[in-house]
Amino acid sequence: MRYVFFSGCVTPQKENAYELSMRKVAEKMGIKLVDLLGANCCGFFMEPVDYLGAVLMGARDLALIDASGCDAITLCPACFGHLTRVRSKLLEDEGLRGRVNKALKEIDKKFEGASQVKHFVSVLVRDVGIEKVKSTVTKPLSRLKVAPHYGCHILKPSDEINLDNPEDPKLLDSLIEATGAKCIDYVEKRLCCGAPVLGVDEKLALSIAREKLKSIQKAGADAIVTVCPLCHVHFDLNQLSMLEKFSEEYNIPVLHYTQLLGLAQGLTLEELGLYENRVPVDKILSNL
Amino acid sequence: MEVKEAKSKIDPKFKFEVARVAGGESIRYCFQCGKCEATCPIRRFEDSYRPAQIIRATLLGLKDMVLDSDMLWLCATCYSCTERCPQGVRFTDIIRAIRNLATEKGKVHPFFKSQSGAIAKFGRIFEDESFLNEMRRELGLPSISVTASRSEIAQILRNTKIETLVKSEEEK
Amino acid sequence: MAEETRVGVYVCHCGQNIAGTVDCKAVSKYAKTLPKVVIARDHKYICSDQGQERIKKDIKKLNLNRVVVAACSPRMHELTFRNVLEETGLNPYLFEMVNIREQCSWVHIGQNEKATEKAKELVRMAVARSQLLAPLEIKEVNALRSVLVIGGGVGGIQAALDLAEQGFKVFLVEKEPTIGGRMAQLDKTFPTMDCSICILAPKMVEAAKHSNITLLTNSEVQDVSGIVGTFHIKVLKKPRFVDEKKCVGCGVCATKCPVKRPNEFDMGLGTRKAIYVPFPQSVPLVYNIEKEHCLYFTQGVCRVCEKFCEANALNFDQKEEAIELDVGAIIVAVGFDPYDPSPLKEYGYGVYKNVITSLEFERLINASGPTEGKLKRLSDGQEPHRIAFIQCVGSRDEKTGHTYCSNICCMAAIKQAVLIKEKHPECEIYIFYDDIRAFGKGFEEFYRRARESWINFVKGIPSETVEDPETKNLTIRAVDLILGKMIELEADLVILSIGLVPPKGLEDLTRILSIPRGPEGFLLEAHPKLRPVDAPTMGVFLAGACQGPKDIPASVAQAKAAASSAAALLSKGKIRVESSVAFVNEDYCIGCRICESLCEYDAIEIKESSTGKPAALVSEVACTGCGVCASACPTKALTLRHFTDQQLLAQVRAAFFEKEGTCVDRPHEAVAESLNEKIPQARSMKDSGED
Repeated sequence: MRYVFFSGCVTPQKENAYELSMRKVAEKMGIKLVDLLGANCCGFFMEPVDYLGAVLMGARDLALIDASGCDAITLCPACFGHLTRVRSKLLEDEGLRGRVNKALKEIDKKFEGASQVKHFVSVLVRDVGIEKVKSTVTKPLSRLKVAPHYGCHILKPSDEINLDNPEDPKLLDSLIEATGAKCIDYVEKRLCCGAPVLGVDEKLALSIAREKLKSIQKAGADAIVTVCPLCHVHFDLNQLSMLEKFSEEYNIPVLHYTQLLGLAQGLTLEELGLYENRVPVDKILSNL
Repeated sequence: MEVKEAKSKIDPKFKFEVARVAGGESIRYCFQCGKCEATCPIRRFEDSYRPAQIIRATLLGLKDMVLDSDMLWLCATCYSCTERCPQGVRFTDIIRAIRNLATEKGKVHPFFKSQSGAIAKFGRIFEDESFLNEMRRELGLPSISVTASRSEIAQILRNTKIETLVKSEEEK
Repeated sequence: MAEETRVGVYVCHCGQNIAGTVDCKAVSKYAKTLPKVVIARDHKYICSDQGQERIKKDIKKLNLNRVVVAACSPRMHELTFRNVLEETGLNPYLFEMVNIREQCSWVHIGQNEKATEKAKELVRMAVARSQLLAPLEIKEVNALRSVLVIGGGVGGIQAALDLAEQGFKVFLVEKEPTIGGRMAQLDKTFPTMDCSICILAPKMVEAAKHSNITLLTNSEVQDVSGIVGTFHIKVLKKPRFVDEKKCVGCGVCATKCPVKRPNEFDMGLGTRKAIYVPFPQSVPLVYNIEKEHCLYFTQGVCRVCEKFCEANALNFDQKEEAIELDVGAIIVAVGFDPYDPSPLKEYGYGVYKNVITSLEFERLINASGPTEGKLKRLSDGQEPHRIAFIQCVGSRDEKTGHTYCSNICCMAAIKQAVLIKEKHPECEIYIFYDDIRAFGKGFEEFYRRARESWINFVKGIPSETVEDPETKNLTIRAVDLILGKMIELEADLVILSIGLVPPKGLEDLTRILSIPRGPEGFLLEAHPKLRPVDAPTMGVFLAGACQGPKDIPASVAQAKAAASSAAALLSKGKIRVESSVAFVNEDYCIGCRICESLCEYDAIEIKESSTGKPAALVSEVACTGCGVCASACPTKALTLRHFTDQQLLAQVRAAFFEKEGTCVDRPHEAVAESLNEKIPQARSMKDSGED
């Protein structure tokens, strides 16, 4: 299984531990990753200002991925969603495809749409398979209670993403259970983390995350697992802002899924970048 | 049909402008059930954010009211509304179209302006990759390289609205 | 027929519909110049009495033997004008209708000159064809004075009663052990608040007792063959293991039976025994054993029911019965199923105990239901104090695929809310809606009565319900669009107003009866406005919710309409069937069987012909004249009367080549030839393998 790795912007800027733990886990699973050189921002954050610009940005990345000859793996669901949607749109809209390829021609590139962009988690479930994931677990985390946070872009819009049922998602649940940990259900499981509005109204974004943290705390989870680097930043780093803005402390460690899986695979804290996590992970480590 | 001038003028062509931007066409199917607002996580915590109202105002043609409004920039693009709408109104795509039109009018929220501007100029949301690469090297991760591609990116973004926006900022 | 062809052409203005674009006078003038045309007129409304009289007069005075009318679509008035010809003694198939409205004036608005030229060409083509038209035999088949009614709900029962009263023999086939259908499950009916079973039961009893009605319950139609007037039906009657003639319905067997099962009639909320009647007023009041859960059938023990039955009615050896019936017409009234909202995970149906469907609620509130009519919620048996209704669940929804409005849910919810308020005035009720559709007689007044009772109507469909793990109460999240505020309401009980969907098993029935279904899955009527109770197949009629969601008065009206239509069809003892049917020239038939395999109506059989070799034989009464066989026949042995190649090719020649008009010499020979066409290049059996 060979994939090209699309890093996106948030992961290298703020969540290198996610990439680090993913690479280590990929190694264990026999997933070979090739670096994608010269990739640009997928363009998702440009959509509100200029949709065509966002499509062009995405198209350049898709052209690079096509040229690599492999499918791409990404860690950011927003990149995954945006590139998947741009690819579908370009495949079905001949006029737009022509326009985009005309612009790409000037930089010696072409969009063909041969390669797909996949999120790492979907590769684990679909390409690798849960059974294989389970087989790589040497230290089942049987005493750990984990609350899954799916976030939004890995599930919706379901008719374009086609990964899981957003009303009753089970993908991450099964991945968590594959590590031996107990997956905790909580009332606000479906709720967005609120991170996208940080730049516009920070307090609002924090209020939403707070609602999730309260619900997760009430359900008695030891840790939260995320699949999106931005969700992770918001729950992890911004959990400290909770103290500041609302005088509330939750102290719930937030792990990337790859960090959770890595722990179950016997990888070290250093290999998994667990020292990078802002909310200290110590208390769950004793519980392993 | 003679329509009395309301506080905002009614522009029956506005909805067609929105429908023309990719993704905006489904706005016409709305039958005002309110499920989008009932689902929206932002609306739940922020009473002034009204997706159903945005659709209503757009369909009615209250162009200035819509394009000038602050609440346009509160959408988290979580797609929950699109997921739940029984009539297939893709609100997330519609508000994207409206945001694009607002930007053209000069009414873009500063955060989005600066973020998009950075992406257009630097190819990624961050400018300086050398600092990042130092951090990455310590963790044993390969380097990021996008500086070399910046001219390519500038090239493909030629004659787009983002280029215009960035240029107008630089002129200031 | 050694006479000269004399054609009359009539160009209709249809008010301004045609004349507004096509110059009808010019077209009629042009028609007069065509060969064989004796008279050509234009007329404002040729379909009117006046217009028809004009044609009749001309036929008589001018000895016309062909008539061409250039007007609207043949679907509108072909029959009208064929009748005109018949009334003058001419064969109705010597008539040709040209569509210069839907296919000319209506689609070329603003292009008057071109439209007029086109109309002229179309008339020229029609006149050419008319010269090759042959008189066809008017066929009639026998019509039995009996009707099969499939489905014993209120619609089926009403249709059966109406027909029985007129002296027709009716077979009422119902798959459940009792008739009554969905109406029997309702507590009260809107807007009158009549007790549903109270008004239905007398009809049920009447249907069972009527001398002209044979009730076949626990039965399903397996096969339908034959044609209108003489349908042959195969029905399978499933065994009840109780003798219908002996059982008195005392119910002692059920009190002794040790097996408890969920009661389907109560939507699974209550229980019944393995030997049961669906509800106390069942007709026939005969007990049934559910074989799959009876201890005798599964484990070979028990038979306690038999020990206590004083009527000696138990019969464990009862076999299924194959019944064959011959009827003249069929009425389909198989009703609907309620939508199952389990896929809508956001509402929690099937997960949260206090989220129920409107039909489940109907059973709860009914005095013979699982709680004896006491308002109790399922999680703890407590009385709810705040009840929320969510409207349009599953309906009007592109995502669930049921894009239509289910017609009754607004009124059903209002009825249920009013019912609750009557018994529990202090109970708070909220109905979350998108629209309130109170369209029928007395409906709007009933809606007012609901508001009078302080029932709250909130415009805004809720996005989800969230259960409180301790109290099992539900929090409903909705936006009151008029207020512009988000509402989070805690309710004890949530009732989902679910929609109506086509009933399970409808697909099998549509196959057996060859009835098409509409895009939403309900049975398709012949014409949505003008023929709402006719199926496209002659002799088959539709009634009730199986044709589309509707309430009781509408179902009853349709049932009466279907009964009346069936009676009209069968009353004369004979039915006219299609004359434009397929015809085989045995000389050219090679017995390849392509036609037999393609015929949807089983009208073609390969049999030994008069010359001894196998050839296709068309049953002219079964044939509907669809033409598929004739177009597929590789040797052109099959022709469709009234649509022969020669007739159609004459139209083509008139359109492109013979622009001065077509004159068919020796028309009667040409016509005869058109029925026994020779292949342009004869292909021998040897050549057929080439290329």
